[in-house]
Amino acid sequence: MIRVAAVGDVHLDADVVGRFRPALERVPDHADVLLLAGDLTRHGTVSEAWCVAKEFGDLAVPVIAVLGNHDYHCNEVPAVVQVLESAGIAVLEGTGVVVETTGGKLGVAGVKGFGGGFAGRCATEFGEPEMKAFVHTTRESADRLAAALDALDSPVRVALSHYAPVPDTLVGEPPEIYPFLGSYLLGQAIDSVPTTLAIHGHAHAGTERGTTPGGVRVRNVAHPVIKHAYSVYHLHGEST
Amino acid sequence: MTERPVDEYLEAEVQRLLTERAEVAEQGITVIRRQHTLLLCGEVESVQRRDEILRLVAEQFPGLSVQSDIGVTRTHPPTEAEDLL
Ligand SMILES: [Fe+2]
Ligand SMILES: [Fe+2]
Repeated sequence: MIRVAAVGDVHLDADVVGRFRPALERVPDHADVLLLAGDLTRHGTVSEAWCVAKEFGDLAVPVIAVLGNHDYHCNEVPAVVQVLESAGIAVLEGTGVVVETTGGKLGVAGVKGFGGGFAGRCATEFGEPEMKAFVHTTRESADRLAAALDALDSPVRVALSHYAPVPDTLVGEPPEIYPFLGSYLLGQAIDSVPTTLAIHGHAHAGTERGTTPGGVRVRNVAHPVIKHAYSVYHLHGEST
Repeated sequence: MTERPVDEYLEAEVQRLLTERAEVAEQGITVIRRQHTLLLCGEVESVQRRDEILRLVAEQFPGLSVQSDIGVTRTHPPTEAEDLL
C-alpha cells in the first residue's frame, strides 16, 4: 500500500505561517509522500514562496508540487520555483518524479493545467487570437501531462494538477464558471495512460470526489473543500 | 457618497474587488444579494484575511449593509484516510 497525502490552495503568506506546521509534522505518521496541488501562495511573490518553503519544507517525506494561477500572478515563477526547490520541494510542470516508498514505487506527473470547460460545452481553438491562445494553452498543458504520465517508470501513477480534469469535483461552484476551473482535455490526458489517481485543487467551493470518463479516481484537495490540513489516500498495487 | 442599490452591478464590483485588490486576492468568496444587504460567504486562511475583506468592502462601499459568514479553514490533521481499492 502507498499512502498519499495531498492539499492544495493553501495560499500562504506571512499571516498563515505556522498554522499548518503541527499537522505537517505528523505527515510521516500518515503518508509516504505529500502532494501540493497549486495556489501555494497568495500572489506568487518570492517572499510568499519563502513562507511555503518554511511551512512545507524539511518534512520527513518527499514533497511534490505544481503551481496554481495565484503563483503566477506576480510573474516571478522562476524565482518562486527556485525558492521552493531550495527547500526540497519538487515542482512539476510537464514533468514527473518517481519516489520509492515502503509500499513500492510511486510515480507523480504534474502540470498546472488551465481552463476551457468540459466536453460538449467547451471553448474551442476558433475565432480571435485571444480565444485560440486560451484553448491552445490548455491543449499544450494536457499534452505535456499525458507525456509526463507516460514517461513515469512506475506501475502506480498519480496525475497532479491545479485545474480540474473533470466537472464532478466542481459541484458546488456556479456552473457558469466551470470553463475557468478546468478542462476535459486534462481528463483525456489522464485517461490516455493507466493512472491510479488524479489530484487537483483550484475549485474552493467544489467537491472532493469524482471520476474521469475512463474510471480514474479524481480528488479535489483544495483546502476549503477538504477542511483539514491534508487528505490521505491509500493506493494499492496495479493501476486499472 | 450616495446610497447605492444592492443590484447585480454592485455584486459584480464587490466580487472583482475581492479578487483584484492585492491586499485581498480571494477568488473563493461568494457574494450573495439579499433584499437590502450583501452576504459574503466562503473560507479564508486566516482571521486577518477575513477582517481585511470586511474592512475593504466597508471602505469602498460606505453605507452598504454587509453580512459576513466567512470562515477560517481548519488545519488539523485528518482523522481518517480514504482507501482507494
Ligand atoms: Fe486557490
Ligand atoms: Fe487557483
